[in-house]
Amino acid sequence: MTKLLEIRDVTLESNGRKRIDSINISINHGDKIALLGKSGAGKTTLLKIINGSIKPTVGEVIFNGKNITNASNNQRRQIGSLWQDLRLIDELTVGQNVNCGALGRRGIGWAIANLFGIIEYQECLSCLDTVELSSDFINVNIQELSSGQKKRVAIARLIRQESKLIVADEPLSNLDPSLCTSILNMLLKKQSIKGINIPDSCIISLHRPDLINKFNRVIGIKAGQIIIDTENPSISSSIIKNLYS
Amino acid sequence: MLTLLPIITIIPIVIQCIQGLHLGGLNTLWNFLLSALTPSLSNDVVATCLHGLQITFAYAIISWLISISAGLILAFLSSYSINKIIGIPEIFTNIIRGILTLPRATHELIWGLLLLQIFGLAPWIAITAISIPYSSLMARVFAEQIDKIDLSNAIALKQVGSSKLQILISTFLPKLIPIVGIYGSYRLECAIRGATLLGVFGLGGIGTEMQLSILSLKFNEMWTSIWMLFISILILEKILEFLQKPTLYIKNIGIYTLTSIILLSCSFGLSLIWLNGLGVNLFQQINVYLFKLPSLTNLLSALIVLPWAKLLSETILLMILASGIAIGLPPLLLMILPNQFCANIFSVLWIFCRLIPTPLTTMLLLLSINPSISVAALALGIQNMGVLGRLLKQNIDKQDNKLYTAILATGSKPQLAWLYGKNVLTKQ
Repeated sequence: MTKLLEIRDVTLESNGRKRIDSINISINHGDKIALLGKSGAGKTTLLKIINGSIKPTVGEVIFNGKNITNASNNQRRQIGSLWQDLRLIDELTVGQNVNCGALGRRGIGWAIANLFGIIEYQECLSCLDTVELSSDFINVNIQELSSGQKKRVAIARLIRQESKLIVADEPLSNLDPSLCTSILNMLLKKQSIKGINIPDSCIISLHRPDLINKFNRVIGIKAGQIIIDTENPSISSSIIKNLYS
Repeated sequence: MLTLLPIITIIPIVIQCIQGLHLGGLNTLWNFLLSALTPSLSNDVVATCLHGLQITFAYAIISWLISISAGLILAFLSSYSINKIIGIPEIFTNIIRGILTLPRATHELIWGLLLLQIFGLAPWIAITAISIPYSSLMARVFAEQIDKIDLSNAIALKQVGSSKLQILISTFLPKLIPIVGIYGSYRLECAIRGATLLGVFGLGGIGTEMQLSILSLKFNEMWTSIWMLFISILILEKILEFLQKPTLYIKNIGIYTLTSIILLSCSFGLSLIWLNGLGVNLFQQINVYLFKLPSLTNLLSALIVLPWAKLLSETILLMILASGIAIGLPPLLLMILPNQFCANIFSVLWIFCRLIPTPLTTMLLLLSINPSISVAALALGIQNMGVLGRLLKQNIDKQDNKLYTAILATGSKPQLAWLYGKNVLTKQ
């Protein structure tokens, strides 16, 4: 498999403490990675380093052969992020928020037009359809949605971005079990739907070791260091225990 | 309790006012109050007041529109968040903020008097005098509000591959528009008050009519002006209240913004035509009356002659006393009588308080009280009480009643439930 992203000897220090400590990871096309670790282990920080929103103190992140910290807008949009706090724009409608995912491929005029109403209606609708959200929601304001619906909109925006790698930070937090499976299936879908390409590579942080069998690779992080990196999703309970101790 | 504490300043004010009371003027003051019930309805007076009112409104609308436009541009230049996204050094933001301090700190009346001194009596002076401080004031408020906007949305859109301008359009604009709507509309009423005040100093409009009526002790005519201004402000308040409703912009922020821009641009043009129709030529020739600047020796001697310590201490004392009334009295009144009927009565009272320009309130008070700092503090406090009373009511109306009803359910008196259940302290 070809390399998509490479994390080379990355360290991040803040307030005299190493939050990420000499991490090396290679992500290949087709990798579906579950990132495990207890709260404060460095999962979110690592994901932010991967998507380029945090610059590491030492080391570099190479995406498609280029350093992500100096990446152009077009290169940056190849990595799609699903943020833990979703980061949807409260003042906009569902459709307008979904369209924000396409901003990297469009101009200023398009951005202004998006504030006036839904443009590229069909594409927007397809994204909503992918996340199993009815077209009735397209003109509904974001603030009127439940937390599960908001999460679906954020995924629809991510799909609209047409990236090559999905970086998702705890997308299953605060969701009921049936919704967890549904959201995870959306993120791990393989085929393109109605002309929209869903990335075949992802790294998703989780607090649910019971769901790792849906992934083809598991990375465990503890105190900023990688302690597990395996392509065998059947990890023993003692390793999981150690990871969360 | 801290919110109510400033009200103790009323004690020295009341004592000094009672000491300086002269009963001879009380009759005149009573006549003034009684005239509220019998305003002059003669055709001449009504026509003159209406003419003055229109001039004041046109001045206020034009200066307000200039201030909002200039304020927005200056806010973008002086916002740390926006400059961070664009990549402008922080020193530039600090310089702009520093420059804006002077025009903001100088009252529109001072600007008016200064411009009058240089250019003589001209209609555009009122507009300029209001626009200068209001532009910088709006710039500061808008910039502060922009800087409060969470940057996480901007970071998220940066990750999507958006350009800097796209980030500003998609994340800042939708959040900024409601802020401009709420604060901007509040400033329109302030501009009307500013234009009325400048009228008292001869710049035309309803303020001039009020000043002439009070000087000739024609209180009935003065009340015609006050009632007209009151009704206009009441209507304006209702219109602005409607225009600020989130339901208007929540469905489509783009259309709301475009409609607002079109409406405001039309209002600007129409106000200019309106003023012209009222016989006010804004574009008359500008005369400059240059006066010789004082020499350094003269300035230094003035510096020595003036009792600076006394002047400064009196100004600070005046500010403290007036603030005490303005901050303390509205929540105290609302707490003592915590019901909707009284709240509505107080709302009407706040309008009257802020409608009558402070110099005229001072003149009325001086009819029966000897001049003192307390009289000045009372006049200034009354007007500011009108302004803060309105803001307090708006904030309380926005709050839900959960906490108030929860405390009331414990068997507490309504006054105590109001004190604990309404978030007055942080909201005022």
